[in-house]
Amino acid sequence: MLQEDHPLVKSAGAVSLPAAELNEFVAALMQKYPVVAPIPKGREYVFAQLEDAAQLAKDYQPTILPAKKVLQQPLETIFSFVRQEAFAEDGKCTSLGEEKICFVDNGAAVQKRILFGVRPCDVNSFNVLDEVFCKDLPDPFYCRSRHETLIVAQNCVKPCRSGFCYYQQTGPGLQRGYDLLLTELNDVYLLEVGSEAGRELLALHPFGAASSEMSLAKDELLAAASRRLPKHILTRNLAELLEENVDHPVWDDLQRRCLGCGTCTMVCPTCFCYNVYDKLDLGLESGVRQREWDSCKLMEFSQVALGHNFRKGRQARAQWRIYHKLLYQQRQFGKTGCVGCGRCIYSCMVDIDLTDVAGTLGGE
Amino acid sequence: MGCKQNPLLPGKAIVAEIRQETPDVKTLRVVAADGGELFDYQPGQCAMVSLFPVGEALFSITSSPTRQGFLEFSIKNTGMLTRALHEIEPGAFIGVRGPYGKGFPYDLMKGKDLLFIGGGIALAPLRSLINYCLDNRHEYGKIEIIYGARSAADLVQRVELLENWPKCTDTHVYLTVDAASPDWTGNVGFVPAFLEQLNPSPAGKITITCGPPVMIKFVLQSLAKMNYQPENIFTTLEMKMKCGIGKCGRCNIGDKYVCKDGPVFSLAQLQQLPPEF
Repeated sequence: MLQEDHPLVKSAGAVSLPAAELNEFVAALMQKYPVVAPIPKGREYVFAQLEDAAQLAKDYQPTILPAKKVLQQPLETIFSFVRQEAFAEDGKCTSLGEEKICFVDNGAAVQKRILFGVRPCDVNSFNVLDEVFCKDLPDPFYCRSRHETLIVAQNCVKPCRSGFCYYQQTGPGLQRGYDLLLTELNDVYLLEVGSEAGRELLALHPFGAASSEMSLAKDELLAAASRRLPKHILTRNLAELLEENVDHPVWDDLQRRCLGCGTCTMVCPTCFCYNVYDKLDLGLESGVRQREWDSCKLMEFSQVALGHNFRKGRQARAQWRIYHKLLYQQRQFGKTGCVGCGRCIYSCMVDIDLTDVAGTLGGE
Repeated sequence: MGCKQNPLLPGKAIVAEIRQETPDVKTLRVVAADGGELFDYQPGQCAMVSLFPVGEALFSITSSPTRQGFLEFSIKNTGMLTRALHEIEPGAFIGVRGPYGKGFPYDLMKGKDLLFIGGGIALAPLRSLINYCLDNRHEYGKIEIIYGARSAADLVQRVELLENWPKCTDTHVYLTVDAASPDWTGNVGFVPAFLEQLNPSPAGKITITCGPPVMIKFVLQSLAKMNYQPENIFTTLEMKMKCGIGKCGRCNIGDKYVCKDGPVFSLAQLQQLPPEF
């Protein structure tokens, strides 16, 4: 039974749900909002909008692309432009003699939705992306999506195939950044409330009480999962090691192996770089300015006019990504740019592993 | 939260005037489509220029904020967008958004002698500050301008370089070309060697340099040889940029963004960054 001074009792911040009823709860959420959740795809998993609660993958390995893709879409239209003589004057158009150009801002209102079953590493990646996109001149696309997305996170009671979140303090248990947080305990889920919006979701389904035993079971499971993580990254003095070892032989090794394919950046939950280009429609009357995920691992990324390339070699590019994640973002934001999801390690065709790189620098 | 504004949406502008500076450099004078001001800016700041449907790129603003009512961009024909910008006629519609970045610390330079060292198209950002200082002439000391181009035909802002600037009080222009043509009577040689030959004293002086990466590299070596201090040397960097507002990730150097933390850096600041330049 719940002790009176237990934090769960004090805040009435947690409830329980029999595992068999999870789909019913998800179905209830779907009645209210679109629900984006992990579903199986081939032998992997992807985030997609659920059409049926039964599609939900409850126990899954990290998705191919991170949950980031919901907030920063792989391809987005920044605005449209229309070049047309007879375009209705609606205040958006600039009329210049015979030529009219109209801008249509595509940052339209985003529908409220639920991101369900998102893992602690991915939730923590949003905190990194917030630093990039929501400060100074906020990016309207990311920020609107972020505000309109309710996060129902799920703790990792089982270690995934290549994660090292525990060492980056981003998992396997989530501390903050959720509206609701699920932890699977044998045949029951513990649901913790992280926000008022999360509490409101609890009205959609009948729940049981949470107990302090459940809370203890959660702590034990997460501690056990931490110990069984497949990867480990050296974090003590890592910033200093990187600063001192710009010319370490480990970078030559990366140059020999890295293919410069960009996969690690595509699957990374904190990579945010994008390219921008204009696209004209076939009728030559209108077009769009779009942005698309880009990769610092690709040759052209740092190339400027007249062909000068600031990071021409694969070594410079491979080294840049690791420095950016593990050193520069730490300096910029006071938190690491790597959330330890392990996707880049699992996806790399030539088995480049940044935990090995860190280990080599540290003499492990 | 500011989520309602789309900072990537350009302002509407018209190309009012085009000057052919050299065979491959044109200066575009741009005005707001609605007749007002596009925005206020400081010397050394940049703006994103769009031409539909070709694309958008960052250019330094070469006009001085002391001359209001328009913006000027000196553009070298090198790539897809710049080629298209070279093909437009006066009256063309373009997009402009900005200003971006931190400009030159012109307040800190007050009362000091200024040494400008430029090469090629990179006179563009320096010109904004030069004209700003000349328009506030009493606030600055001696102004020396060392500028080099590939040939006499490649000198941009020829009228200012040859006629206007040398006429200003205590203002000296030293020109050099990589290769002389028969009519060239000035110096022949690269900018760093010319600088060492002129050997201006570092006392009470602030140096502002911009040029191709290789020129900057050797100019900085020459300045070090001549005992110029890193905190008194400023340069302005350029990288490819897609947003101009610190989000697209293109112009990172170490933990700095060229678009947001630069493009103007002192040499002392640059020495703290990884040696990618």
